[in-house]
Amino acid sequence: MIGYICKYTPIEIFESMGEELERIQPEVTSFNQADTLMHPNLCSFAKGVLEDALTGRYDGIILTTCCDSIRRVYDVLKERLPDKFIYILDTPRITKDAAVRLYEKRIRSMIAEYEAFSGRKFDEEKFVALIQKKSRDDMISLKKDRLNVGILGARANPNIQKILEEHGVNVAFDLTCTGLARKILADDKEPFAGYVRGLLNQFPCMRMESASNRDRLIEQYVGSVDGIIYHTVQFCDNYSYDYAWLKGILKKPELLLETDNTKQSYGQILTRIEAFLESLRETGAGRRQGTPAGADRHLSETESGGGNAAREGKKMYVLGIDSGSTSTNAVIMDSDRQIRAFEVVRTGAKSGESAERIRDLVLEKAGLKREDLSRIVSTGYGRVSIAYADENVTEISCHGRGAHYFNPEVRTILDIGGQDSKAIRLDANGEVVDFVMNDKCAAGTGRFLEAIARTLEIDISEVGPEALRSTEEIEITSMCTVFAESEVISLIANNKEKCDIANGICHAIANKAYSLMRRVGMEPVYMMTGGVAKNSGVVRAVEEKIQAKLYICPEPEIVGAVGAALYALDTI
Amino acid sequence: MPVAEQYIQYVRERTIKEPEKSWDKILLGFRMNSLRMHFFPNRKLARGYQKLEEMMMKHVADSLSRPHSYVWGNIFAPCELVNAFGLRLLSIESLACYLSGYHLEDFFIDFAQSIGLAPTLCSYHKAFVGAVESGVVPTPAYAVTTSLSCDGNLNTFRFLQKKNNVPFMLLDVPYTDDGDAIDYLAGQLEELVRDMENRLGCRFRIEKLKEALRIENETRKELNKLAEQLQVHYYPGAVIDQMYLMMATHLLMGTPEFLELIRFMNEDIQTHPEFTGKRILWIHLLPFYQESLNGYFNENEKYQIMATDIIVDYLGDLDTERPFYALAKKLIENVFNGSYGNKAKQICDFAGEVKPDAAIHFCHWGCKQAAGGSVMLKEAMRREGIPLLILDGDGIDKRNSHDGQIKTRLEAFLEMIGEGGAEA
Repeated sequence: MIGYICKYTPIEIFESMGEELERIQPEVTSFNQADTLMHPNLCSFAKGVLEDALTGRYDGIILTTCCDSIRRVYDVLKERLPDKFIYILDTPRITKDAAVRLYEKRIRSMIAEYEAFSGRKFDEEKFVALIQKKSRDDMISLKKDRLNVGILGARANPNIQKILEEHGVNVAFDLTCTGLARKILADDKEPFAGYVRGLLNQFPCMRMESASNRDRLIEQYVGSVDGIIYHTVQFCDNYSYDYAWLKGILKKPELLLETDNTKQSYGQILTRIEAFLESLRETGAGRRQGTPAGADRHLSETESGGGNAAREGKKMYVLGIDSGSTSTNAVIMDSDRQIRAFEVVRTGAKSGESAERIRDLVLEKAGLKREDLSRIVSTGYGRVSIAYADENVTEISCHGRGAHYFNPEVRTILDIGGQDSKAIRLDANGEVVDFVMNDKCAAGTGRFLEAIARTLEIDISEVGPEALRSTEEIEITSMCTVFAESEVISLIANNKEKCDIANGICHAIANKAYSLMRRVGMEPVYMMTGGVAKNSGVVRAVEEKIQAKLYICPEPEIVGAVGAALYALDTI
Repeated sequence: MPVAEQYIQYVRERTIKEPEKSWDKILLGFRMNSLRMHFFPNRKLARGYQKLEEMMMKHVADSLSRPHSYVWGNIFAPCELVNAFGLRLLSIESLACYLSGYHLEDFFIDFAQSIGLAPTLCSYHKAFVGAVESGVVPTPAYAVTTSLSCDGNLNTFRFLQKKNNVPFMLLDVPYTDDGDAIDYLAGQLEELVRDMENRLGCRFRIEKLKEALRIENETRKELNKLAEQLQVHYYPGAVIDQMYLMMATHLLMGTPEFLELIRFMNEDIQTHPEFTGKRILWIHLLPFYQESLNGYFNENEKYQIMATDIIVDYLGDLDTERPFYALAKKLIENVFNGSYGNKAKQICDFAGEVKPDAAIHFCHWGCKQAAGGSVMLKEAMRREGIPLLILDGDGIDKRNSHDGQIKTRLEAFLEMIGEGGAEA
């Protein structure tokens, strides 16, 4: 079996020779070999291909000169697998006649080498008969009464399509490297040259010169769907140019989603896609009033109990619970949208246990019993681990909702929690119109602050007040938590004042936050939520950076839980 | 604070505040720096390097002062062909370096990232796109890029074309080195000439191009001689001079003034004492701002960078009677084209001639084509008996390059190779 990766690979040639081909779609648990044999900072798809290929499951691998990382994968595979058919096809970036002629020669050279390797013979007549039978599939398929979402960008991780389908969404098109129906041109006079021309003239990827054609086709397709998922692969930077350009011209809601081809990234992908679908459903044609359609809903005893309470005219209560990486926050709200009680506890090693604990604590504070709760909505990273919740909604939608509750004027939210930082933009109705989240790196999050506080030997609550006493400007250049820690150690060694270092750290976080906020668009009024909003040093640094005041509600940690409670109220 | 530093600080602050209004101040700084290098050169450097610094500063300051005198390119774009139009080539990588003189690289890079470019993209490309998109850098009438040696080229130039209407031509450099590839690329070079004539209304002079190639052949011989001389003599230079040399060998190749400079260096170096320290072959870019590297390689009798792979990326002779063919061949046979095995072999061959004591491969943030081959090169060099240090960092963005880390690795490596002469 031969593995291949690129849509410009002439797979029909091999098919006509009776060879089995498989598109390599790596999903790995580590990049141990790739990091050792190449470098960690290479495209994670390419690294995944290397890991996959080194398992030895392919008799050969056909690569193309599609990008820098893949060229290096070829170098390593060629050296490591001398007995396999490891081939790189020199694929032109232009589509003019000279390029077609050159590519035809390159393909013929490859055939000759493959014949020598495999002992099989290429029969041009058989090949022509095969390509004449092949027809093009439609690239777009829309479905009525369902959300239609298109996928653009770098080669899509198969999980994206899977998650969308599981949430009842129709994938109207997939214009990434992997998703395309192949374009076969059957030219009677020059069938081989016609085939090569067709290959080069497919919907162009970012390595090809003919990008204007790409823009025109994308605009045409995007017009007919409800939203776009723009997918990028970590350390594959080519598509970020496309994204930066399209973001300005496409008038559809879009989600920028980065993946790294590891199995572990599934949870992150899921949260982002679910939040995106929630925002699409909320803004889309009034499909719903309150609860995001498609969110996981389970009928429970509390739900029916709540219904009875309503009929009897009693006051009803709901619980919103936000299970974050650092803290678990709970809010009990009554049917008049008044907060009856709230509680914040540290999330332990098991988010389910802290959720049990916080429910009892907040009920006690509110003077209520479990059966008084009509509905419970969970949010946050641990939302699915809370077994007693009736429904779960992503933290993005909940933060939007909660922020709007505290201050309807808010349009841009900066939420910095324990391991997440995100910027969310709302419209006048408090609906989420755009959001971005930090990547896997902890830079600029609460964890970052905690690590630095530990290095400075102060309590995390002292970082803000310390920063406010600063008199000397110190720039912390490293954004990586680990490197920033060692930078801080060097500063301490140089007798720099704690307050100045603390202020430097606050500014480093503010810089990172500012870039997130700019990515969703800076629209006042600004609000900051999450535990880090209690840090006066960070707040001041962000305000300086955005040159505007931040609105901070009395308990910035509970905004997500308030949003969850509001979602719970919607359905009773 | 020295006046120059005060001015840099002032320009930085004004640029961040009002990007669209800062270009004149930036340009003025370049011109002043060019004059400073002429009248008050850094006397610690050998005279050849003093002249090189002045020449490169002047190239940029003079070109930018005359908006219609230059086109943008990448570092591998054929400057000989651009010069044959009476125009100059300014590479975007070099411009990013010059702009970083104002400590503005973080502002530009953050700007580029805020509009959507990936944080993991090459910092040179991000800095340049940020500089243009923030409204600081004015745009020229034309640009030309090769697909060599990285994916960023086509994407950056295409992005700038779409956003700022700077027409550009892509020279698609085939991976495989054969006659078909050369014909394919030579055809594109001829097309480039036609396109520039049509768009810019400038006349192309083939004789000028042939003359440039004759000068280039001479220059290459002189550069080889210089590499040999650097084995023998101590010629005090700085890390940044290797960057200037990289720029000069790609932006001023084929010009009489560059040939003259290298000839001068070859004469001047002979007046310098014997070099008894360690000779270092540098691979890929140099983070010229990095304190520790400057501490060890600026005017240091113990350690001398004798060449970088980019300076010697093509060692052949050009056929002056077939200029398009010759330029196409030069690009296709470039050490950065084709497989990394080919690059490793060429570097090892070169090392066999100039006999470095050690090599350092700097993995610049975001540069996949270089970083991805670093382990392979280390292995190839090991077989040749040359120790190689892989350093991770960033050629331009200080935030991705931690000096403490680089210092520890560098010092351990230098301890490993010893301090004395080649026999140590």
